[in-house]
Amino acid sequence: MISHRDSNAQRIAALDERAEALKLKRGMGIADARAMHPSIDVVEADPEADRRLLEGLADWCDRYTPLVAIDGEDGLFLDVTGCTHLFGGERAMQDEILTRFFQQGFDVRAGLASTPGAAWAAARFHGDRIVAGGEEEALLAPLPLSALRIAPETRASLESVGLRTAGAVMAAPRAPLARRFGATLLLRLDQALGRLDEAVSPRLPVAPLSVERHLAEPIMLTDDIERLVSRLAVALKVDLERRGEGARALALLLFRVDGAVSRIAVGTSRPMREPQLIRRLFHERLAALEQNIDAGFGFDLVRLSVLSVAAFDMLQGDLAGEVADDDADIALFADRIRARLGEAAVLKPVVVESHLPERAVTTVPFAEAPQRRMPPKQSDRTAPPMTIFPPERPVRLFRSPEPIEVPATEIPEGPPMNFRWRRALYRVARAEGPERIAAEWWRQLPGEDEAPTRDYYRIEDSEGRRYWLYRQGLYSSAAQAAPRWFMHGVFA
Amino acid sequence: MAMSAVARDTVFALRRQIAKIEGTLPERLEAPASGAPADTARSDITVVRRGLVVASPDAFLHTGIERLDTALGGGLPKATLSEIHGLETRDAGAVAGFALSLTSLILKEKQGLPILWIGTAEIFREAGFPYARGLQILFGIEPEQLLFSEAPKLLDALWIAEEAARMTAFAAVILEIRGNPQRLDLTATRRLHARAQSAGRPVLLLRQAGAAEPTSAPVRLIVSAAPAASRETLAGPLAGSIGRPAFTVDIGKSRTALPGQFTLEWNPDEHAFEERRRGEERRSDEERRPQEERAANPVAVVPVPVRGADPAPASGAVLAFPAVGSPAAGDQPSRQQRPAHRSPRRAG
Repeated sequence: MISHRDSNAQRIAALDERAEALKLKRGMGIADARAMHPSIDVVEADPEADRRLLEGLADWCDRYTPLVAIDGEDGLFLDVTGCTHLFGGERAMQDEILTRFFQQGFDVRAGLASTPGAAWAAARFHGDRIVAGGEEEALLAPLPLSALRIAPETRASLESVGLRTAGAVMAAPRAPLARRFGATLLLRLDQALGRLDEAVSPRLPVAPLSVERHLAEPIMLTDDIERLVSRLAVALKVDLERRGEGARALALLLFRVDGAVSRIAVGTSRPMREPQLIRRLFHERLAALEQNIDAGFGFDLVRLSVLSVAAFDMLQGDLAGEVADDDADIALFADRIRARLGEAAVLKPVVVESHLPERAVTTVPFAEAPQRRMPPKQSDRTAPPMTIFPPERPVRLFRSPEPIEVPATEIPEGPPMNFRWRRALYRVARAEGPERIAAEWWRQLPGEDEAPTRDYYRIEDSEGRRYWLYRQGLYSSAAQAAPRWFMHGVFA
Repeated sequence: MAMSAVARDTVFALRRQIAKIEGTLPERLEAPASGAPADTARSDITVVRRGLVVASPDAFLHTGIERLDTALGGGLPKATLSEIHGLETRDAGAVAGFALSLTSLILKEKQGLPILWIGTAEIFREAGFPYARGLQILFGIEPEQLLFSEAPKLLDALWIAEEAARMTAFAAVILEIRGNPQRLDLTATRRLHARAQSAGRPVLLLRQAGAAEPTSAPVRLIVSAAPAASRETLAGPLAGSIGRPAFTVDIGKSRTALPGQFTLEWNPDEHAFEERRRGEERRSDEERRPQEERAANPVAVVPVPVRGADPAPASGAVLAFPAVGSPAAGDQPSRQQRPAHRSPRRAG
């Protein structure tokens, strides 16, 4: 028995057959139930876990159709249009689903009909029924009003005027019904009877292409999965070629025998269709996930889906049949590293127009970076036009400037004479500067104080190493905070 | 004496053996004059390994400094793993700068190819992330050519490096590691070296704050920062200014086993190295440079005086009192000044 807290009282949220046999009911207070039967076992409700379980079941149902939608807290919609023949017809399919759920320990009701409304009613009020096209009215007519999926208030007011079954509502004139009970009632009725289309919104976008293989003998080894991936990719290639497209994102779904589903996705920076390359990407991904994938008793269904596609440009190869394309090599290299180590494993610097050194270059993941122009031209660079004497910039920049201690400067606005950085004392031999870099006023919010300016110095210490320091703020009035010194970069 | 000569012969024979195994021409080793003629004849054979003519002159990257090239046996080998060490983490700037200078030299031949820089998260946090703007200004490496890879763990960084080293699409692969991790042992460097050899692309292994360890890399250079020379202006060196980047390079390991320390200066305009002679003080360097440059560029910086060439400087030393003005300093002295100017010299 499961309890939940409703308006300050513990009530029964759900209960099993044995509890029902004790004449306990849903919505009954736990205190009452305990008074009736002190030995009952009560568990606190966990809606999050219920949701996760339902999503896991929905994942598992992906094996029957890509269009799976979650309905409320305890239902799943499967749009099996065009899928039933793969499982030997509607009856056989429903039987198989029910059997498999039963074997996994679930008590499931199923209904199959031409409209979602009718199937919903069939599942909840009949348990295991297949409604042929046109029989919806006959199915619904004897059922109570709750079979129509309408709000409880509407149902109560309908019952108060004597309309107690769906059939009575269907027989009643439409116009007064619409006027009195709103358009939703008639909409639900029409949808259930197939007069209006109802769209079931799947929880996952439908992959444009997918291939799968049911296995008589479950597989467990990573090598076997990889081999299967390349087999499936061969089948996929034909479809991709026919469409003139390549895959930009791929997902591998592994359905474990006991119902758990693993979903492994890889992205590519360029459209791809070669089975060997797809296999190598999944090889890296599987190697990275080796600890996280629990094969258990093996996978009995493996599906490879193309999640997104892009136009594939054919390249002219040379007579040896090889296409020498460095960019493609690098894209594949970056994809493999990305597959194994995550999105940010390969970074590309992008030059941004900004005064602030740390903003002037940002790094973006390789897949999001603009394509490299070959060869890099001098004229159309994104960088600002180079002056004859570009400002000196360090070869390494610290991600965040590190504070340093400066005991004394020769003159207030001058460079330090020595400084302490990372607990070591450095003596300044020579200094150049300052180069003043002010904050960017256009990025400042109205009403905000102006950020202090930075005076950058190039420093050479007594051992010949060169650093880039800056002083934030000015030694002006006593009212302002004392300026602080930071280490920002290292020169060659 | 005879014993030592025999021992020397043995040593050279052994070295030649090693050189053959490693795939380099043994003749670069200074063979004793009394070497067997059969051996010298054999030394002409080019050793071919993995379909690569290792000893061809094209296999070396010439640094442009003759002494360094000779000490390395023809230059830095291109298709190999090369180790560049920094003794302390604070040398990271110099080590990175030297590696990038070499990369810039490589890029002169392989225009437009990208460069991959792999580092562990640790080194990028400790020593700073490479700054694309600075690289563009100093080494002419465009930001579009750069690819960075930040690996959370050393094993991942090594994996990326191994995958990258076998590709020919990169002009160079730079792997940066801090300290002396146990994983980066002889086997790991050997794998990197073998991949670099078969791809024919250089892999630069930067080891910050690392001690010398057994390695498969044929070359190990130890780099630290050197005080920079002053900036050059028309009026001569500008006192107190910080000029071009300078490095002190020690050869820690090379096939020729010739020791050497070099102070190199990187010319960011020409993208070339210049050597600063050892033992020369910075001041003397500053004095020497303008004269050298004037000799190299015969165009006069200052217009030639109208009255012809400058008079020769006065000979002899001033003893009694200082000269009013040296003849080389400017115009001819006036008529009144001249007797006064000349008289002390006569007295001297």
